[in-house]
Amino acid sequence: MASLSIQEPFDLIRLSLSERVFVKLRGDRQLSGILHAYDGHMNLILSDVEETIMLVDGMDDAEPGQQVVNIAKRKMDMLFVRGDGVILVSPPSRA
Amino acid sequence: MSSLQGYVDRRVFLVLQDGRSIVGTLAGYDQKSNVVLSNSTERVYSSDEGVEEIPLGLYLVKGDMICLIGEVDEEADQALDLTTIRAEPLPPIRY
Amino acid sequence: MLIFSVFKTLTDQTVTVELKNDLCITGVLKSVDQFLNIRLDNIKVSDEGRHPHMMAVKNCFIRGSVVRYVQLPADHVDTQLLEDATRREAQNQIKQR
Repeated sequence: MASLSIQEPFDLIRLSLSERVFVKLRGDRQLSGILHAYDGHMNLILSDVEETIMLVDGMDDAEPGQQVVNIAKRKMDMLFVRGDGVILVSPPSRA
Repeated sequence: MSSLQGYVDRRVFLVLQDGRSIVGTLAGYDQKSNVVLSNSTERVYSSDEGVEEIPLGLYLVKGDMICLIGEVDEEADQALDLTTIRAEPLPPIRY
Repeated sequence: MLIFSVFKTLTDQTVTVELKNDLCITGVLKSVDQFLNIRLDNIKVSDEGRHPHMMAVKNCFIRGSVVRYVQLPADHVDTQLLEDATRREAQNQIKQR
């Protein structure tokens, strides 16, 4: 059955509906939330979302080890995410 | 279509992609939300002095450049003392 | 199309739109179009101290392309319905190929 196997990238997202997914976004942001809807632009609707924003402080010329990474976290109940910011959507780990 | 019809002949506030803020009277617009403003001024915000107003007169803004168009409450706007407002300029759009 | 429909069902609800310039605007969703341009009424900018630019603005039109997120009222979103509609739309795309 074509609808049950993974034949193309979007199948992987379809099979993640109603599961918790990890989303990497532009602007050093990432989300974890339960996927309820998506479309061909990778617009997403997620619930029970936790956003993590990575802010790198320190000069651009500082040694990589010298830079301080600040992490800001935020929770949102129900969130629409515009697809143009999405870098990747990763299904839940089946460990 | 969420059109701009209701804003014609009203004072409007525009936020552009590069972070600039412009106030003017909406003289017209088209399908691509290109916009013509009359009696327009740019409001330049800075954190160490009041808002500087630069007259622009009749101004055409390309739709692609526009982030947001807001209807200005003229009474509330006139009540604002721009010389006392200190604020960082809005950041440009970053994807 | 699916997402457009979702937004249409949320008209007259209060939403918070976060833009790609970090502005956060809360207001009543008045209308939306196929580009996901959004009209908000009765708007309030979060952190007005830092962003006083829109103090005299009561309603606005936001270009869809500058939206990063929209926070939706969870109690007005039927997640089961959304998932079914999403599967149906994905299925239709397969048939079209």
